[in-house]
Amino acid sequence: MDFEPRYTPEQQEFRREVNAWLKDNVPAGIVHPADPAGLTWEQYQLRRDLGRKLGARGWLWPTAPVEYGGGGLDVDHAVVIEEEIDSHGLTLPPYYDSGGRLGGNSILVWGSEEQKRAFLPPIFTGQVRTWQLLSEPEAGSDLANVKTTAIRDGDEYVLNGQKIFVGSDHGCDYMWTITVTDPGAKRHENLGWFMVPSHLPGITIQPMDLLISGGESGAGSGVKQTVYFDDVRIPAFNLVGGENQGWKVATTHLELEHGTGGRIGRNWLVDRLFEHCRSTNRRGQPMTQDPDVRDRLVDVYVEAEIVRLLNLRNYWMRHSGANITYEGPQASYVRKTSGLRMAQAMLDILGPAGLTHDPELGAADGHMEAHSRAGIVAIHPGGTTDIQKVIMARRIGIGREVREKAGALS
Amino acid sequence: MDLALTPEQEMLKAAARRFVAQEYPKEALLQIASPDETTPLEPWGQLAATGWLGILIPLEYGGEGGSFTDAGVLFEELGRGPTPGPHIASAALSALAVLEGGTESQKRHWLPRIASGELRLVPAITESDYGWDEADVRAVATVADVAAVDSDGDGGGGLRVNGVKAYVFDGQSASHFLCAVRSGESNDVALTVIPADAPGVRARGLPGFAWNLSEVRFDNVAVDAGDVLGGGWAAWRRAVEKAIPVLCAFQVGGCQAVYELSVDYSRTRIQFGTPIGRFQRVQDQIISLVNHLDAARWTTYEALWKLDAGRDATASVRLAKAVASEGYYQACNYAHEVHAGVGSMTEYGLTLHTAASRTLYHYLGDPKQHKRELAAALGL
Ligand SMILES: Cc1cc2nc3c(=O)[nH]c(=O)nc-3n(C[C@H](O)[C@H](O)[C@H](O)COP(=O)(O)OP(=O)(O)OC[C@H]3O[C@@H](n4cnc5c(N)ncnc54)[C@H](O)[C@@H]3O)c2cc1C
Repeated sequence: MDFEPRYTPEQQEFRREVNAWLKDNVPAGIVHPADPAGLTWEQYQLRRDLGRKLGARGWLWPTAPVEYGGGGLDVDHAVVIEEEIDSHGLTLPPYYDSGGRLGGNSILVWGSEEQKRAFLPPIFTGQVRTWQLLSEPEAGSDLANVKTTAIRDGDEYVLNGQKIFVGSDHGCDYMWTITVTDPGAKRHENLGWFMVPSHLPGITIQPMDLLISGGESGAGSGVKQTVYFDDVRIPAFNLVGGENQGWKVATTHLELEHGTGGRIGRNWLVDRLFEHCRSTNRRGQPMTQDPDVRDRLVDVYVEAEIVRLLNLRNYWMRHSGANITYEGPQASYVRKTSGLRMAQAMLDILGPAGLTHDPELGAADGHMEAHSRAGIVAIHPGGTTDIQKVIMARRIGIGREVREKAGALS
Repeated sequence: MDLALTPEQEMLKAAARRFVAQEYPKEALLQIASPDETTPLEPWGQLAATGWLGILIPLEYGGEGGSFTDAGVLFEELGRGPTPGPHIASAALSALAVLEGGTESQKRHWLPRIASGELRLVPAITESDYGWDEADVRAVATVADVAAVDSDGDGGGGLRVNGVKAYVFDGQSASHFLCAVRSGESNDVALTVIPADAPGVRARGLPGFAWNLSEVRFDNVAVDAGDVLGGGWAAWRRAVEKAIPVLCAFQVGGCQAVYELSVDYSRTRIQFGTPIGRFQRVQDQIISLVNHLDAARWTTYEALWKLDAGRDATASVRLAKAVASEGYYQACNYAHEVHAGVGSMTEYGLTLHTAASRTLYHYLGDPKQHKRELAAALGL
């Protein structure tokens, strides 16, 4: 076993290249608002510009195939890029985009050659951003219960319905979504998966008023939206995976969203908390000298390390072709419940300073206050904690003859 | 033994529940909670008209002379809103502080006005080095030119108060502050009444998830020495000990409200063709929630009973605050698990409780502090 990535001289050379490039290209003015709703249009554009530049080099989606605009790099090189971008406090992509990681993978696995050529290069080079439009009022955990319809009419499908809890601020270019294509068919055999251009007539987007948009920190997910489709006509070409095959297509991105992709990178929130406690005096000494604070800081650290290692394991498993079963939902479950526990530890450590983003009386530029909200809200997206447990149990094979298999990944 | 409420308490409970439903419907609570809204005084006027703000104030000082348990019953219902203050701050904490630490003439002066709601007297104790101990009070009061400050002309002399109070609960809805100050001469800590509109006093709300917390600045504020409560910090401590179970009852009411919301939602929300309450995982969340609720309820009501019965209540009070603070915090977490996405929508109203639970977790001391004091009270 070896937990430390070993870098060949060639990789080290690559790291120097990436590092130098990032130094030249990450704009100086990028800020990290504590609440993703604080990401301004200008800041979003800075991040998009960086995304396009990364995309032009094949570094935005490093492991995606070259023929579809990706970097075609192996994991050893992708790791280097992820580590270096992480050291700038950024992620890949440096903005909220559910296209490359989730929808893009579904298209890679299930799309026709023409569809891959049409949809993937703009995504993988950062020309477009896409939103994931799954949830509806009657379809949360029970995603297969969607009511939005897409009915075939000649060379087009006509969409009608409503999606909630989706997207972000500042718009998108494509929405990928799952709808009913055959109202008469059985559950799971009645769905279609579509790439919907977001500028089409009949699409209305309205912001939702939530406690916070979620814990997708760093990527500036912004404000969640309600999207209405009123007789929206889309080309039949945009149906991915074939007629009534939508559920199958969805299993790919759902699998990834359940945490199976893994992740390399640190929890910046923990760093910020530690830094705050080191540099803030309470009763005449640094907070880190207070035994109670020390105990709780260590609790936070322990939580973060477990999450980091489960994500690291999943990243390794995915890229080494290991047989993944329950590990994805496990990482998701532990991350979510751990985020809740961290929020309470922060409240214990900081007192009411952890509940305000006041410049004088708050803590760590409002990042702690934001987590006091995000810790709660982030347990829902991508499947609730209960749903992660349901899937884990099936994959472990608790009480059943046949263990459920994980969804197909690219 | 009889753990039932008296018929009078049942009537009070029903009346308070009707009052909260009528005066503080969800829409009103949401509007009050929205950042650009200053707390409207209209429901406060209605609350004052009920006479309930005098529930802990003896009849001779214009109150209702109720028991601690009566107050618990009332504040539990107010907690169901959760209704915004400054009812706990003024009618429970400050009223008890004046009772414990005021001279006879101070009691006659302040208590009837607290009972009538005319005075919204809000304790301003904690500072940026957050803590509830005497040692944490740094705001300073120095003896000032007597003639300049002796506003009531009784020759009692005057003080100048300087300092910044932080995380003051209900600070923005105060008409007066009950401010903890350290004497520049003797170094003793005392509490003094200061009008919120006195020159040099400035309160501002703290933005974010905090529920009605403020910063209050006192810049060279002139105070009549006759407005300093006689009893000092010891009297304040006695008042806090009695007010805590009343605060806990408010937290119990919050737990009760999110419990009922969760049970209702588990019956009506359909996923996978069935009410989600059929899923054992959802049942588990609600069962954990109700366990927190009942733990908070019975530790709280026993502490209230001990105060009424004149027993030594110290350990019970610490126990109740530790359990109720943790309970309300966790009850909200479980309610969020049950509701998933809908619970994080502002318009649904659950997040009002979540915000309240976080702030009250720390108000008058967090679970850790009370566990430590409990250990001492147990002679460990
Ligand atoms: C901040 C945020 C961001 C989001 N982002 C997106 C997005 O970008 N795109 C998108 O499409 N959606 C998004 N969502 C929606 C999210 O996917 C749903 O909220 C989530 O899947 C849960 O659905 P629900 O809220 O309808 O809860 P419900 O499914 O109604 O769940 C209610 C309760 O029932 C439980 N439950 C349900 N079914 C079962 C079962 N079979 N067994 C045991 N327990 C069960 C749940 O665990 C929960 O406790 C987002 C949500 C939030 C809050």
